[in-house]
Amino acid sequence: MKRVIEVEELTRVEGHGRVEVVIDGEEIKDVNMAIFEGPRFFEAFIETVHYEKVPDIMRRICAICTASHSLASIRAIEKAFNVKVTEQTSLLRDLLIHGEMIESHALHVFMLALPDYLGFPDAVRMASKYPKEVKAALRLKQAGNMVHNIVSGREVHGMNERVGGFSTVPSEQDLKQIKMVMAATKPTAELAVDLFAKLETPKFAESDNVLMALDPGDKFGFMGDYVLVSDGTRHPVENYQALTNERTVKYSHAKFSSYKGSSFMVGALPRVLLNKDKLEGTAAALYDEHKDLLTQNNTLTNNLAQAIELVHSVDRCIEDIDALLSNGLKNEGLVEIEVKANRGTAAVEAPRGILYHDYTFDGEGCIVKCNVITPTAQNAANMEKDYRAAAKRLISEPDEKLVNASNLSLEPTTHAYPARCT
Amino acid sequence: MAKPKLGIFSLTGCGGDQLMILNMENELLDLLSYFEIKDFQEGSSYHEDVELDIALVEGSVSTETDLKRLKEIREKSKTLIALGDCAIGGCVQAMRNGQMSMAERMKKVYGVEEDYYDVLEPKGLSAHVKVDLEIPGCPIEKTEIFRAITSLLHGDLPETIDYPVCVECKLNGYPCVLVEKGMPCLGPLTTAGCDARCPGLGLDCIGCRGPIPDEANAAAELDVLLEKGYDEKYIINRLRFFGGNFEDIQKLTKKISERRNKTEGNE
Repeated sequence: MKRVIEVEELTRVEGHGRVEVVIDGEEIKDVNMAIFEGPRFFEAFIETVHYEKVPDIMRRICAICTASHSLASIRAIEKAFNVKVTEQTSLLRDLLIHGEMIESHALHVFMLALPDYLGFPDAVRMASKYPKEVKAALRLKQAGNMVHNIVSGREVHGMNERVGGFSTVPSEQDLKQIKMVMAATKPTAELAVDLFAKLETPKFAESDNVLMALDPGDKFGFMGDYVLVSDGTRHPVENYQALTNERTVKYSHAKFSSYKGSSFMVGALPRVLLNKDKLEGTAAALYDEHKDLLTQNNTLTNNLAQAIELVHSVDRCIEDIDALLSNGLKNEGLVEIEVKANRGTAAVEAPRGILYHDYTFDGEGCIVKCNVITPTAQNAANMEKDYRAAAKRLISEPDEKLVNASNLSLEPTTHAYPARCT
Repeated sequence: MAKPKLGIFSLTGCGGDQLMILNMENELLDLLSYFEIKDFQEGSSYHEDVELDIALVEGSVSTETDLKRLKEIREKSKTLIALGDCAIGGCVQAMRNGQMSMAERMKKVYGVEEDYYDVLEPKGLSAHVKVDLEIPGCPIEKTEIFRAITSLLHGDLPETIDYPVCVECKLNGYPCVLVEKGMPCLGPLTTAGCDARCPGLGLDCIGCRGPIPDEANAAAELDVLLEKGYDEKYIINRLRFFGGNFEDIQKLTKKISERRNKTEGNE
């Protein structure tokens, strides 16, 4: 007998997704993870646009990781034109991407994933029972947004980070204020670790995972020029096409990726596991304390990895601000750009995983060709693999319990991944 | 009095306008408590298919699926509000409307034929259904959505803004980046409400709140920027970032490309 389980519209995700599982007798026939967010064709319409405003347009691919897109875009352009930025610019960018991680992870961990475990449809309803915790989570999220506001110019789709530097350097007073708020809200980040360490993480999606993350250099972080793979290899980001092998599928507007014929995972869990030795301070201590709970083959432990990254990011924001202030803030303006016909590829770690931007320019600095690969597209095939593993336990459920059982396993599997970005 | 029933929906876009609602960290819990939330795709698994007093819809209509959903939402909602640029004029994904066919876009990005997916040329909501209020922005401003929601609670529609970014720039006393620095600022034809954020940071406005309805003069902006030394291709791209679906800008694009073809034909 054929049975079809469908989650028509995945909720508490940014974007639109649908899962369909077809069970025939004792066998899973088909699992389709469709990302049906309407396609927007950024790579086509950006052609002929002059480089200077390219990041302003490309960041609009995604609201929640807008600064990740903007920084990947800016770095790809700077690589094409051989631009070297100042230490102050690098520090401000590092601050910005860590602020984004806080904003996004706080939203994801507390408001999108946690309600699954506590049995609420959303954080607003969860607040009726846990008002203190939800309000603390909102303050942590706000601390991340404060970085967006002050460094980038606004919370979503800022504009202050530019090719070659920052248009306006934030004031000392504003940076000190971020530092104060970060220090005050650090306990909430630690609470996130504590919560997800105590919650029993379901094992229903357990299955082999290949992991990928950027190599951040000496210290844990979210930018780098090489990709680490859990098979022990390391590749320059320029080779991204061989790492992702994107293909178009009929049922999903997001393309699907594979590495050596297998799906793979990007995101917090790959970052923490592949770069664990680079964690420092409280985040390193928390990792040591809970490392047995972070398992490569259980995607659902991604939420705990995100919580550890929250703690890391709060500390790093403070560290970056200390460095900026001790160096003394300078109004240094933008680095002079000399355009040339060339190609540049760059990657950053968006909250959801590696994000690639690859541009080719003509001699006037206008886009001839553009390719963007988002973390959601990279994860889509892996989500299918996880749904398949989760669906196996549904086979034994009688029809009347099937919908409920699938909601209990498919939704949390979804919320282990922060989906989005077509 | 019964709480008004509210639904928050999203079509094709970046999710940024729903995110701005979630970003109202200080007001969110209080504000939402005045409503019965029946749908909030980005924030909740709760869903109830009932008649709504207010529907907030972000995103553009870019697929047949979007269009079907929009019609269903319109059908069951007393007041329908378009939230953000995508829902008003299609935003950046409408940049090449009238310039590049959907078939060409599909070929370039997916390497397949047009009918592979159910795509439509991206449009705002009012191209397909009656819209009661439009709140501009990419993304929307928190203050504006807050004002709109509180007005609606009192049974009113909020006032809309019909003046350019330049007004707010002047009120802030910012130096004019267009006149003084020759930067290609779109402030003169862009709907205000952002408090001239970009000029405040020393940047030129890219028009992210869209052209002022019935007021924006694209031809005059073109002349000013040509005089400043920018070429036509650059200016047209610029006007189209957030204006691809606006009649005035489409006409201007057509005029220029026709003139270009003519000149090239004469050479």
